[in-house]
Amino acid sequence: MKILLIEDDREAASYLVQALDECGHITHHAADGETGYAMASGMDYDVLIVDRMLPRRDGLSIIESLRAEDDKTPALILSALGEVDDRVKGLRAGGDDYLVKPYAFSELLARIEVLARRSAPAEAETHYQVADLTLDRLSRRVERAGEHVLLQPREFRLLEYLMKNAGRVVTRTMLLENVWDYHFDPQTNVIDVHMSRLRAKVDKGHERQLLQTVRGAGYMIRD
Amino acid sequence: MTDKRAFSLGKLWRTTTVRLTAMFIAIFVGFALILLSFLAYQTSVQIQRQQSYAIDREVGQLRLLASRSNINTMIFAVQRLADRPGPGIYYLGDATGTMLAGNVTDFPAAVLAEQGRYELTYERGLEIYGAPGDRDPTKGRAIVESIALADGLRLVIGRDIGERRDFTAIIFSTYFWGALAIVVLSVLAGGITSRYVLRRIDGITGTSTKIMSGNLSERVPVTGRNDEFDAVATSLNAMLDRIEQLMAGMKEVTDNVAHDLKTPLTRLRNRAEAALREGTGPETQRAALETTIAESDQLIRTFNALLLIARAEAGTPSGALSETDLSEVVSDVAELYGPVAEDAGLTLDADIEPGLTMTANRELIGQALVNLVENAIKYSVEGQDEGGRITIAARRERGSITIEVADTGPGIPEPDRKRVFERFARLEASRTEPGAGLGLALVSAVVRLHKGTVHFEDNAPGAKAVIVFPNA
Repeated sequence: MKILLIEDDREAASYLVQALDECGHITHHAADGETGYAMASGMDYDVLIVDRMLPRRDGLSIIESLRAEDDKTPALILSALGEVDDRVKGLRAGGDDYLVKPYAFSELLARIEVLARRSAPAEAETHYQVADLTLDRLSRRVERAGEHVLLQPREFRLLEYLMKNAGRVVTRTMLLENVWDYHFDPQTNVIDVHMSRLRAKVDKGHERQLLQTVRGAGYMIRD
Repeated sequence: MTDKRAFSLGKLWRTTTVRLTAMFIAIFVGFALILLSFLAYQTSVQIQRQQSYAIDREVGQLRLLASRSNINTMIFAVQRLADRPGPGIYYLGDATGTMLAGNVTDFPAAVLAEQGRYELTYERGLEIYGAPGDRDPTKGRAIVESIALADGLRLVIGRDIGERRDFTAIIFSTYFWGALAIVVLSVLAGGITSRYVLRRIDGITGTSTKIMSGNLSERVPVTGRNDEFDAVATSLNAMLDRIEQLMAGMKEVTDNVAHDLKTPLTRLRNRAEAALREGTGPETQRAALETTIAESDQLIRTFNALLLIARAEAGTPSGALSETDLSEVVSDVAELYGPVAEDAGLTLDADIEPGLTMTANRELIGQALVNLVENAIKYSVEGQDEGGRITIAARRERGSITIEVADTGPGIPEPDRKRVFERFARLEASRTEPGAGLGLALVSAVVRLHKGTVHFEDNAPGAKAVIVFPNA
């Protein structure tokens, strides 16, 4: 994956570039807004990681300009501002996801991998399949090995989100944001409890366990 | 007053009261002048008209007399009129210009030569009745009618108009002295009220100066007269109370932050140091690093909670408040935590009235409810309340919305029920427990932001948190 990181904190940037490199991604770095904008509009990237407050040009205006030029490269906004309306402003400017500093690297990685996938035309799919597990978004029917699996509405959304991002790690915060629409960090293992319920319904009695826990990161559904 | 210059003339002139007083004096004097001028003019015209009429009448009468009687009767009649005190002017003379009767000694020749009406200066033998002392009693101005009778006789009848002029002069002198008195009294009154107002205002200014120099417990004096200054002072004092309270809160927070962030930071540092010093194997170092990350996450969480509380308490919510379905928020939280409670061996019941909408911040209300439910679960588990029951209820009661989160755990002792909402408050029994102690403080801040109240009740057994949003 080709990533452009626009971040003025050199130390944080070099750490991110190295870490992303270790995960097999090619990462370019721009240290200020103008350079970042020039690089983003001049080259093709799979994902942009944009710090919100940058010297010479702020992150939101970079994304706004790119969107105005019909450049739909998915963009993740990094910001120290974590209030709800900051987030809303970021998404309104054309950002695709918003991550508040400080963050765990695994969280950032999971989010950009999901974002990169978003640019693929998979968004409109109505039918998801992982191994012998199928989910039909229109009839809201889930089957495992041809057998109907009965899910609560929220469990359905949880599975839907996991299957949409099949093969990619999704973090607990991503699940809370996308399935429950809350942006805070619960103290207890509330997501784990819901996942174990879902697992009991989907994987129990089957030899292949599709729902996997990724230690220190989150969950993944995989063949 | 410590500062005598406070009442200097320049300052007095700059006050609103004095300016207003000056303006009103100017307006009043102006109006009085216009009114009195009009009055004087009208009166003068009226007097003139009456005099004119009187002349006409006497002229008619004497003409009639002249036509019916002889010269001696005429002389007698004119002399009788002329001898009466008053503004009347009479002259009867023959063709040679000899005066036969009358009270005027001298007329310009032209008046006797030609008939008609004249205004002139004349000299008379008798003193003019009622003339002010400052005027020559034998000289005056008059309007006269000069007529020619049979046999070359000349008759002049007139009225002194000095009286009319005196009248106008009296009106204007009255006006002048009156206006002067008004100006003097108004300036005095304005000065006194301004001094009074200034003194009250200086009280407020003095207080704010003292506050600005650091003495936050200073208050604006309230006289108890219940006037508008007292209203301002009371409202200012209320504002100062609030500011002082916020400042005290801020100080408390910084103290608590210093304490509650320093403790884990020190622990973090010690652990990292220990991992380095011992030079132990990679396994131990890895474990130390993992704990370090976990602890820094906890620190970030504490920090975020503090920020959120500060924002909510300052009344600047993150994200505008909008029409929110509270029933949905409450049931979302119940649904989110149902399985968690179940795994902990508890039951979670929800009794939620549908359609409870109010202007709220969904995210903040959700977070507050999550904190209450997490608390209820945590204390039920710690209290070994096997088979315990957590009840989440939301309903409308007489115009307000009530949300309750109740558990059947160990409950909260009466004296602690208020204190639990303070920042970093942890009951003695749970002092060793991990957790930032900010959960309920956040609940309290969020509820206050939505103009509601929150308190704990005895659920017998257990604790019941009751949130009330009045007029929601």
